[in-house]
Amino acid sequence: MRKEARDMLTRTVLWGRRLRVMTVKELLQFSRDVVLILFMAYTFTADVYLGGQGVSLELRRAATFFLDNDHSYTSRELMDRFRPSSFDFSGEVSSPAEGIALLDRGDAMVVFDIPPRFEELLLTGKPASLQVQIDSTNSVLGLLAGSYCSRIVSAFGMEAGLRRMGLTAESLKHMPMIVDEQRVWFNPNEDDRWFMSIAELLNVVTLFAMLLPAAAMVREKERGTVDQLLVTPLSTLQIMLPKVLAMTLVIMIGVNISLFGIMRPFFHVPIRGSVNLFMAVTALYVFATSGLGLLIATIARNLGQAAMLTVMSYGPMIFLSGAWTPPEAMPKLFRILMVTSPLHHYIDVSFGVLLKGAGTSLLWDSILGMAAFGAVLFGLGMWRLRRQF
Amino acid sequence: MDESAVVTAGGAGGRPAPGAVVRIRGILKSYKGQAAVRGVDLDVAPGEIYGLIGPDGAGKSSVMKAVAGVLAHDAGTLEVLGKVVDSEGSAERIKVDIGFMPQGLGQNLYPELSVEENIDFFARSRLVPREQIRERKDRLLAMTRLAAFRDRPMKNLSGGMKQKLGLVCTLIHEPRLVILDEPTTGVDPVSRRDFWSILTQLLRERGITALISTAYMDEASRFHRLSLFFGGKVIASGTPDELTALAPGAVVTLRCGAQAMAMERLREHFPQVEARGELLRVFVRNATDEEAAQRALEVLNGMDATVLYTGVAELEDVFIARLSDLGLAAEEGAGGEAEGAAKPGAAPILNAREANEDVAIEAKGLVRAFGEFRAVDDVSFRVPQGEIFGLLGANGAGKTTVIKMLVGLLPPTGGRGMVAGRDMRRAPREIKEHIGYMSQVFSLYGDLTVTENIRLYAGIYGLGKNESRERVQWVLHMADLEGMERKPASSLPVGVRQRLALGCALVHRPRILFLDEPTSGVDPVGRRRFWDILFQLSKRDKVAILITTHYMSEAEHCDHLALMYAGRIVADSTPERMKRELEEEAGRLLEIHTDNPLSALSLLEGAGFEGAALHGNNVHVLARDLEEAERRARQSLSSGGVRVLSVSGQPLGMEDVFVYRVLALEKEEKR
Repeated sequence: MRKEARDMLTRTVLWGRRLRVMTVKELLQFSRDVVLILFMAYTFTADVYLGGQGVSLELRRAATFFLDNDHSYTSRELMDRFRPSSFDFSGEVSSPAEGIALLDRGDAMVVFDIPPRFEELLLTGKPASLQVQIDSTNSVLGLLAGSYCSRIVSAFGMEAGLRRMGLTAESLKHMPMIVDEQRVWFNPNEDDRWFMSIAELLNVVTLFAMLLPAAAMVREKERGTVDQLLVTPLSTLQIMLPKVLAMTLVIMIGVNISLFGIMRPFFHVPIRGSVNLFMAVTALYVFATSGLGLLIATIARNLGQAAMLTVMSYGPMIFLSGAWTPPEAMPKLFRILMVTSPLHHYIDVSFGVLLKGAGTSLLWDSILGMAAFGAVLFGLGMWRLRRQF
Repeated sequence: MDESAVVTAGGAGGRPAPGAVVRIRGILKSYKGQAAVRGVDLDVAPGEIYGLIGPDGAGKSSVMKAVAGVLAHDAGTLEVLGKVVDSEGSAERIKVDIGFMPQGLGQNLYPELSVEENIDFFARSRLVPREQIRERKDRLLAMTRLAAFRDRPMKNLSGGMKQKLGLVCTLIHEPRLVILDEPTTGVDPVSRRDFWSILTQLLRERGITALISTAYMDEASRFHRLSLFFGGKVIASGTPDELTALAPGAVVTLRCGAQAMAMERLREHFPQVEARGELLRVFVRNATDEEAAQRALEVLNGMDATVLYTGVAELEDVFIARLSDLGLAAEEGAGGEAEGAAKPGAAPILNAREANEDVAIEAKGLVRAFGEFRAVDDVSFRVPQGEIFGLLGANGAGKTTVIKMLVGLLPPTGGRGMVAGRDMRRAPREIKEHIGYMSQVFSLYGDLTVTENIRLYAGIYGLGKNESRERVQWVLHMADLEGMERKPASSLPVGVRQRLALGCALVHRPRILFLDEPTSGVDPVGRRRFWDILFQLSKRDKVAILITTHYMSEAEHCDHLALMYAGRIVADSTPERMKRELEEEAGRLLEIHTDNPLSALSLLEGAGFEGAALHGNNVHVLARDLEEAERRARQSLSSGGVRVLSVSGQPLGMEDVFVYRVLALEKEEKR
């Protein structure tokens, strides 16, 4: 009995030792790959920074041109309402054709057309119409520009109406009416750098979680080192697991650098929930996604193929993640697929923890979903690998 | 400028022939502060086949790359084809007249392209006119007998065929100088012979000059002149005979009952002793044949020893002697350090073959089919504990496939492979812990250092901290890797890498070893050390070793041999018995040393000596009646104008056996 217990212990110690030497090996190999380290350093710092700073869904300094056929006090006042940061007064045009040409060339985003006798019509209380032409190549920005324009024009019209009735904006306070007052939650300044930088970080994590284990495995296949390992007493799990462990560690370091070196100091992203929870969830996610990487490694014959397959599966993962589009806006089939995407759950949890301060009590279902689908992918990868050898 | 280059490429002999094709004066080259070449002088005359030999990492490859214009040297002057090479531009200008084949099987070829596509690519990139491509391609393909494989992708060719294709691609633009870096490493003896006869014929026909490096000393003795490299310098140059004269002496081959003890005793007196199967081979310096035999027997006084043959030293003996003269070679006999290579296990079994329960490796009717093709066809053999079992065969005969099935990397289509009585594909961990495997391709981590690699395998095999440290030291010493501990494995020369791989395969003191061409590309000194270790492991620690090799001198060391041909085992016996059988079948061996081995060979073939073959710079013929054969040979040679220097009856070597058997089988197949 005691002998059995001792055997068990030695076996466990051996198992641990093998796992350790293999993990150390992976880390050493990683540390020798200068190009990969530079690439990772870039993505976890500069790329996240650019993601937050550069890519914006806000309407900023839209080039706005005016065709002022009225040249009146009122028309100038209306024009004056289009100000930075959303709009940028870029000049006047003298004919509709010139405006179209500017739109065609992409030099103008908004061309605003004020008809002749605009002031006169307003003063006499007759309906006046305005024309706005918007370049909606980027549909989100086009939509924003349109809605901002109508907001500005309706406010202007309302004031003009009030003035005609001899009232000022002040006197509205004494009138019974529904007031629309917005209070923004979670991101009070509506700073989309928060959202964008976090989304970018999550994308980067996804990319590396797939690519690194896949590359590490394919490299062994390519160089024939895996044959040497298979002849040793190592099991498939002991060959695979260290890769995932080592790469998870590397990615966690990257996430920390990104979070505390870029997102906190530059964008002041709040961390409302528990950092530890976020890290734990990230580790779980990396682990889950690496299963997909392993699956790729079983299909790819060389590093090039592995990279290609990673890029190929990375696209759909991003689309199905809900980072760019809310699930509700997707076709039904995609909505079902999204539930199976670990990235979708990870995004949910990450925004929940970082921006909303949510805890496990609120996010358990997403965490569970991630773990479940991760386990399936990881298991599939392992199964395919074992069958290959 | 381009025009003149094209003219010379076409071989128009309008210009006066330059004095030397290659003239090197004091060139230096270092990599990251590590000197690889430190002042080499070399002259290669037109039409000459010039050889470079020397240990791994001696700087041969660097010099060859510099001459080929693919590596810039740091200092010294280099003249190739009469032009000074000192810049990228000047290197580009000589490249039209140069063909370069780097080290490694098919290294310069494209695996996915077919034979023909590879040739076309090389020809077109060299701007050879279309009609000329066709004409040359047909001629070269016919000569190399690759014509039937035109459409086969290069990756599906055997090692020997890859090298022949490499040669065709190197020669397609008819260069005036070819540089071949170990072209026959990893190529079996028959293909190697083939490669050499094609190469020498082509060089002679076209008057091409060649600079060739090799790890085979019998090839080296065929060069016109050669240089022995060591530590980035040339330590000896001259014709093979001149080099042999540097270390006069005689080689004694003897048989002694207590082989291991006799070997130890001889080692105390003679630095160069090696075991060949059940025989011992001693190089006695500065002695005539009789003196040498006498001195060896004196040392073995009281032991039951008989001298079988004495003869002149081979280039390999000289090579090693020369290095130790200069205090350069590490001391011989790492055997003493194999101490504790395996824990003394079962009591020594004197005749391992007959003790059934100790079968370490067994193949039972192994079959492996790839589609229609049967790579391995009903292979059976057994290797008892304590035996060195050699698996011989041409490239593509199925040796590697057999080993892969035995170690469990490849599922057999039929039959069973057993190791320590278990099927390796389902073997429990405990069995795998006692197995060492070294695959044909280098399969260590190039980005890890020497020590890190060894430590990794020590850890994988579950060695503890202290044991691991001790074993790392043992491997470093055994493989002579001291001083290289912190170098990344990828930066090591091929031979050193192989030694490291063997070290990693031995780190856990395996009881059963699988070695697939472990000495491919290793220099003679390294190979001897390697075999000393294997000898100790098998004889003292009773380790079972299954090994494949293309060096027939190594096959002599094996206790038992199996010869594979086209996936089948065609002979399974001891080296001695194999030789005896050949002797009974085809006669004894006559070695004919002449001043012109190539013409001698064709003359003898014409005179009806069927098994005539080139061996080093001698011609070997097999004959039942040696005296009659000698008379006949002398007659036909003198009538052909070839001067006979010496004729002697010699013991058969494994190479003679291998070549005879394989050629006979090939002939049979053609019928």
